[in-house]
Amino acid sequence: MIEIVSQTACIHCDKCVKVCPTDVFDSVPDGAPVIARQEDCQTCFLCEAYCPVDALFVAANAYGPEPVIEEEVRAKGLWGKYRRELGWTPAFTTKDRLKETRELGKRIREANERQKLESGHPHHEQPKQN
Amino acid sequence: MSKLNEAGLELKADVLVIGGGPAAAWAAIAAAEDGAKVVIADKGYLGTSGAFAASTSGAKVVPPIAELRDPVKFERYAMGGFLSQHSWWDRILDVTFERAPKIYEWGGYEVPNYGAKGGGYGGGLQGPETMRIMRKKIVELGVKILDQSPALELLVDGEGAVAGARGYQRQEDRPWTVKAAATILASGGCAWLSKSMGCNTNTGDGLLMTVEAGGELSSMEFSAHYAPAATHSSCTKSGQYNRMTYYDENDNEIPGLVRDGHRITSAIAKALLKGKVFVKIDKPDTKNPDVRRQLQLGQPNFHASLERGGLKPFEEKFEITLNLEGTVRGVGGIRIVNEDCGTTVPGLYAAGDAATRELISGAFTGGAGPNMTWVTGSGNISGRAAAAYAKKLGPKASEREVHGVGQTGLVTKDETAQPYEANAVVKGVQDEVFPYDKFMFRTEEGILRSLGKLEALWKSVQGKPLQDTPQHLIRSREAVSVLAAARWAYFAGLERKETRGMHKRVDYPATDPNQRHYLAVGGLDKLWTRPEAVPEEVVAKPESLKEAAHV
Repeated sequence: MIEIVSQTACIHCDKCVKVCPTDVFDSVPDGAPVIARQEDCQTCFLCEAYCPVDALFVAANAYGPEPVIEEEVRAKGLWGKYRRELGWTPAFTTKDRLKETRELGKRIREANERQKLESGHPHHEQPKQN
Repeated sequence: MSKLNEAGLELKADVLVIGGGPAAAWAAIAAAEDGAKVVIADKGYLGTSGAFAASTSGAKVVPPIAELRDPVKFERYAMGGFLSQHSWWDRILDVTFERAPKIYEWGGYEVPNYGAKGGGYGGGLQGPETMRIMRKKIVELGVKILDQSPALELLVDGEGAVAGARGYQRQEDRPWTVKAAATILASGGCAWLSKSMGCNTNTGDGLLMTVEAGGELSSMEFSAHYAPAATHSSCTKSGQYNRMTYYDENDNEIPGLVRDGHRITSAIAKALLKGKVFVKIDKPDTKNPDVRRQLQLGQPNFHASLERGGLKPFEEKFEITLNLEGTVRGVGGIRIVNEDCGTTVPGLYAAGDAATRELISGAFTGGAGPNMTWVTGSGNISGRAAAAYAKKLGPKASEREVHGVGQTGLVTKDETAQPYEANAVVKGVQDEVFPYDKFMFRTEEGILRSLGKLEALWKSVQGKPLQDTPQHLIRSREAVSVLAAARWAYFAGLERKETRGMHKRVDYPATDPNQRHYLAVGGLDKLWTRPEAVPEEVVAKPESLKEAAHV
């Protein structure tokens, strides 16, 4: 569930208030939004994806609070990671994501072909997404 | 004092779309492109609401070539209990093939080459990005968007036709009313507030509103869909569970949980009823770092939820459970009665998971392809049909005298009653639908016991809903909605005395050829069912196709 609205990083744009599908945040005049209804959070990570400055953190536990510390999350490299992996940052865009996906697919297919030639049967199939 | 009686926002439109996922977005786009004045109202935010935005899913984008389409139609035909219709598959595939590439075009991405063998959308572009592109298109088309504005009841004219809806803008703290010539319900299925990835906006609101307006549902007995997730996690959306090895608590591999590359949910449920179940992504190919990276990039939400939980799925086992996804990846929903995705009520259309998916999925899940294809097809079909209907009625249609038809959970029937506790009602419903030994493995005795408990809850919500804050107003109605959906699911399950698709009757383990029909279901205080024939089609299964066997 949503655990952190970083007071230092937040620019008070209220984007998270607007986009949360379960209306978890309340906006605060001249301040960072507050987590007003944490129990309604469905742990979809979409507030993090939409936050333009990586000011939010959603912990993994969907069924209860799990207090976490911003510095520890940052130290583990998890801060803002979902938005990055989604291809929603200037440094790694959706075009970059699609390109990397294509390249990985090509390399895996080639490795597969090599394996097939060496052992006479396919090593594995392409992962299916659903 | 009910907040619903305060002054609010009043709008007129040709077409009102209710919902904020891809089916709603497609419906709004299609209606607006055909010249209709469109309003789209969603409980959450058009772009983050529903299962798809949170999780991503692919559609079947297949050119009109029999050799390519037959495998799609036949892949689940037998698993679906022979209830899907190949003419509907053609209709849905045609629209999807025409429309799916637009997402890439509108987003400024290279359109995949679907010509050779077909492909998908949503799988390449993630759900959030696909929805961002659709929202941008909707804004460009001049559609009025009402975010954070759940619909609470349908409006009906003197003849009984649906003529708009009423709801509440929870962040503006005011009611909204939209009078419209045609209304499309694309408000999602019902996952009974299980938190399964992205599904907590999907509380079956459209089903309740339809029945209150005189409409019907179908295939509600095919609603017990569950999916694996790490015990702490809401992330059920992953084909990756098809690629895992399953272990018991003594580290012994549990055989038979995956067959032909597909997990078998009922086998996982049986294993979980015996003891703890653990999984690991440890098939030989996942030693390849490229494969690992591909899996991470393909499902960033899945890996985020594991990584944040301190789990290393490629190196260590982790414990799983099954989460209820209900009708979202189940089948049941609003009954569709014509090729326009129309319902039994004039002026009311249904699309996406709010509608029954029986027409292409039969009695089996439409997860991993068919559902997103249905979303694209039914969204566009209903949008175009609603725009044409509005044109036929003319501009006077939004001037009609109308009245709201919302009942339980919205209207106070007994001013002196103590308001019911919505969260307690939801918990009471969840106690009957979460446990798979009740809702998945069914017996007449068990169904009657659950129906008895749900009946008592239904009586308890008749008096007075709590409506003093926007949250109470909405949650009081949602509680009734999930309760009603559970009653229809169990009632239809009682009536179907056989095992077919995801409906598993322990006391009737065989499929009965005489019950190869749909079950319409409805009613509020008094529930009913009615068999509906499956149109006979001449279907010749190509010799070359092998039927996959996994249920």
